[in-house]
Amino acid sequence: MAATATDVMRRQVGDRTLKARRVTVVLLTLLLLVSVAGLAVGAAETSLWSSLVAWAQGEDLSLRDQIVLLHIRLPRLLTGLLAGAALATSGALLQGLFRNPLADPEIIGVSAGASFGAVCAIVLGAALPFAGKLGAAFLPVLAFAGAWGATLLLYRIATRHGRTSVATMLLAGIALSALTMALTGVLIYIADDAQMRDITFWNMGSLSGANWNKLVIAAPVIFVSLVAAQALGAGLNAMALGEAAARHMGVSVQVVKRLTIVCVAAATGVSVAISGGIGFVGIVVPHVLRLISGPDHKHLLVNSALLGACVLVSADIDARVIIAPAELPIGIITAILGGPFFLWILLRQRGVLDL
Amino acid sequence: MNQMSSLCRLQAAMAAALLALFSFGVLEATAETVPTRIVSVGGSVTEIVYALGQEHRLVARDTTSNYPVEARSLPDVGYVRRLSPEGLLSVAPDMILAEEGAGPPETFEVLANSGLPIVTVPMGYDLPAVQSKIRAVSEALGVADAGEELALQVTADVEEAIRAAGLRDQSVLFVLSMQGGRIMAAGGDTAAQGVLELAGAKNAISGFDGYKLVSDEAVLTAAPDVILMMQSHRRGAVSPGDVLAHPAIAATPAGRNQAVLQMDGMLLLGFSVRTGQAVSELAAGLAAADS
Amino acid sequence: MKLIAENISVTAGQKSLLTDVNFRALAGEVTAIVGPSGAGKSTLISALSGDVSYAGSVRLNGQDIKRLQPSRLARHRAVLVQATPLTFPFTVFEIVRLGMSANADKDIATLALQKVGLAGFEGQYFQSLSGGEQQRVQLARVLCQVWQPVKEGVPRWLFLDEPVSSLDIGHQLRVMKIARHFADQGGGVVVVLHDLNLTTMFADQVALIVGGELVIQDTPSAALTSERLSAAYECDLHVRATPDAGFFLLPQLAHVS
Repeated sequence: MAATATDVMRRQVGDRTLKARRVTVVLLTLLLLVSVAGLAVGAAETSLWSSLVAWAQGEDLSLRDQIVLLHIRLPRLLTGLLAGAALATSGALLQGLFRNPLADPEIIGVSAGASFGAVCAIVLGAALPFAGKLGAAFLPVLAFAGAWGATLLLYRIATRHGRTSVATMLLAGIALSALTMALTGVLIYIADDAQMRDITFWNMGSLSGANWNKLVIAAPVIFVSLVAAQALGAGLNAMALGEAAARHMGVSVQVVKRLTIVCVAAATGVSVAISGGIGFVGIVVPHVLRLISGPDHKHLLVNSALLGACVLVSADIDARVIIAPAELPIGIITAILGGPFFLWILLRQRGVLDL
Repeated sequence: MNQMSSLCRLQAAMAAALLALFSFGVLEATAETVPTRIVSVGGSVTEIVYALGQEHRLVARDTTSNYPVEARSLPDVGYVRRLSPEGLLSVAPDMILAEEGAGPPETFEVLANSGLPIVTVPMGYDLPAVQSKIRAVSEALGVADAGEELALQVTADVEEAIRAAGLRDQSVLFVLSMQGGRIMAAGGDTAAQGVLELAGAKNAISGFDGYKLVSDEAVLTAAPDVILMMQSHRRGAVSPGDVLAHPAIAATPAGRNQAVLQMDGMLLLGFSVRTGQAVSELAAGLAAADS
Repeated sequence: MKLIAENISVTAGQKSLLTDVNFRALAGEVTAIVGPSGAGKSTLISALSGDVSYAGSVRLNGQDIKRLQPSRLARHRAVLVQATPLTFPFTVFEIVRLGMSANADKDIATLALQKVGLAGFEGQYFQSLSGGEQQRVQLARVLCQVWQPVKEGVPRWLFLDEPVSSLDIGHQLRVMKIARHFADQGGGVVVVLHDLNLTTMFADQVALIVGGELVIQDTPSAALTSERLSAAYECDLHVRATPDAGFFLLPQLAHVS
């Protein structure tokens, strides 16, 4: 006889802390394996193993192998790890803040702002004053500026007398998304064919533009944000009972809100700026981890970062290999895998969690 | 006499040996520097490579390179504006031959750092541009003489086609696509306008560059005599009937006369080896539409 | 040590929720706040907890609560209010544990659950419990936060806003006994109650709030008279004493005509 929803819920669950720690260890191992794969697998015939052997023996690698390993695969791997960790952790942070398993960095305007900034760069590029000076960095800079601008705007709207209302932020975020979509639409309208293709590709996301110049800026920002976010675990746990209860338990709720928003805007803003629009990682990864080892944010944040990194690098390996020597945009892969997976999660949990 | 002939023979032999060595040396040298694993990026560039008879040196091409048909059997490295560095390197090329506008810039930066020669072929939409393209490609391939020959032949074809076409009193609107009822048309600085002008007609619409979405009013004001479109074999692609049925177009002279002309895209817009053929076919089509 | 609230006024927009209320509670006592719906009982306890902005002063254990950081205030008092619905699948144990500080003894959570009559419920999902069970889990969490009623000579406080609203009479008595016990050990208890019988059974002091004003604060027998209650609740109420149980039985509503 199939278990009913109540039976499933009434099952006794032991202390999940131990399980969560075990999950962390497993994910660290997985991360290592995926990283090695990310360096070893690729369209070019460069072999990681023979390169390591040669290097250990003091031999010089061919220029081609050097380029492939050190200037293509390695920056790409690091970008994938950082962006994956950033997106997944941001999802977990916002779901905790909004007390909603469906929350996503989109909600605080990051994606809408970044997209608008990128479209401005693509369509208006030549016409804007500092385009020449920034060169290839122009688009990421504008995308990041858009992400931050949108988040700050939403924060100001939602914060009165030193208190931020997450409900207001959610509603204002919807309005802002609609506005940026309209403005983006205007830009697309005046865009020409080549620009429209560029916009489409940007929206689908890709790690193929990864290089050391971008990493030098992106890595510290993402790393610092993720480390700072770990301090929010206990606060977000308390806030699951409501802001009032959290305050009674001694949590500085406004500090938690502000730090969460800053971390998400920084980490996601930078990730989207350098790799375009990549969806579903922020929703699916924390959700899966909650199912496995519970919603305790003290472990969820760390594990989300690890699993998000693994997922994105794996998706990137697929992107590079499936139609080699051409590449698929990575956003397509995360959508193809993430969409149905997310639906499956929803269907399973419908009766149990009353979503 | 005997001494003289032996000396001569010896000298001749030495000269021959030297000449042989020298030639061998030269051949060796050129063999080392001549690229034989070339990636061709851009349909018009690939077409020129085949026309020069150098296709045996190609190892890959991009998505837009599908003429001649044989080109399609080469591995496809992706869309011309979105190439990935590792994908390109995976075919172990010793040269990239790319049309202007291929990208993204980061990819070409990485490739340049790897010491890979990258030759950019300039684009343009008139006869001198076609000549430059052919010369650039043939120089890169080390067959400048054959390139010069091809350029002359193509020039002759084009000039003949222009002469035969004459000047036409027709304004033509080139429709690239129709998305959700909105028309994407060719403005200035496009291959479409370029080839129309070669065929003696003029672009019905002006005031912008590139292919852009145009409003219904703009189409009505342009009042084209003929609609020009690309042929598409995809299911669900916009058909001439769909375009003529568009309310703005139906109200133009082209719409009222059902004057729509379809041509193969790469032929029409490639500005490559077959430009002469494109111009004469286009002129013939326009003439037919006029009657 | 005391809780002293002076000249407390709370407004929401134009409307005045509390007007110039002077309230006090002593450690070692249970002080109840009663009154009709909308009178301002929850508002008062919110002000005492530091949730809403108010005019006037609230001093807890000699310190002005406005000057205390949330984390320091949490060491003095724990608050039980109507909880927001939980959207994540936390277990009962995980919820209760939230009340504890990081270095507290893990066994406290188990003991707290035993106290509220939910021993063995640790591993169940909070969302699968009934309303009454959930309320008791929240109480267990709150108890964990101030497990020792008196710490280093300083009394800790329980602020309870209608802690028995979803409970049957057996559990109601159990919870009130916990509160009583907490006070008997030296802690302070301030509790908002609807049930006037429970109030007279367990409270040392009762404050009657009507229309945002404090009508009276005194012992139950002195404060809860038939006339006063009938006026406050706008219906016919009679207070009677039963000889053997020694507490006041309420109310016998006059026949609704």
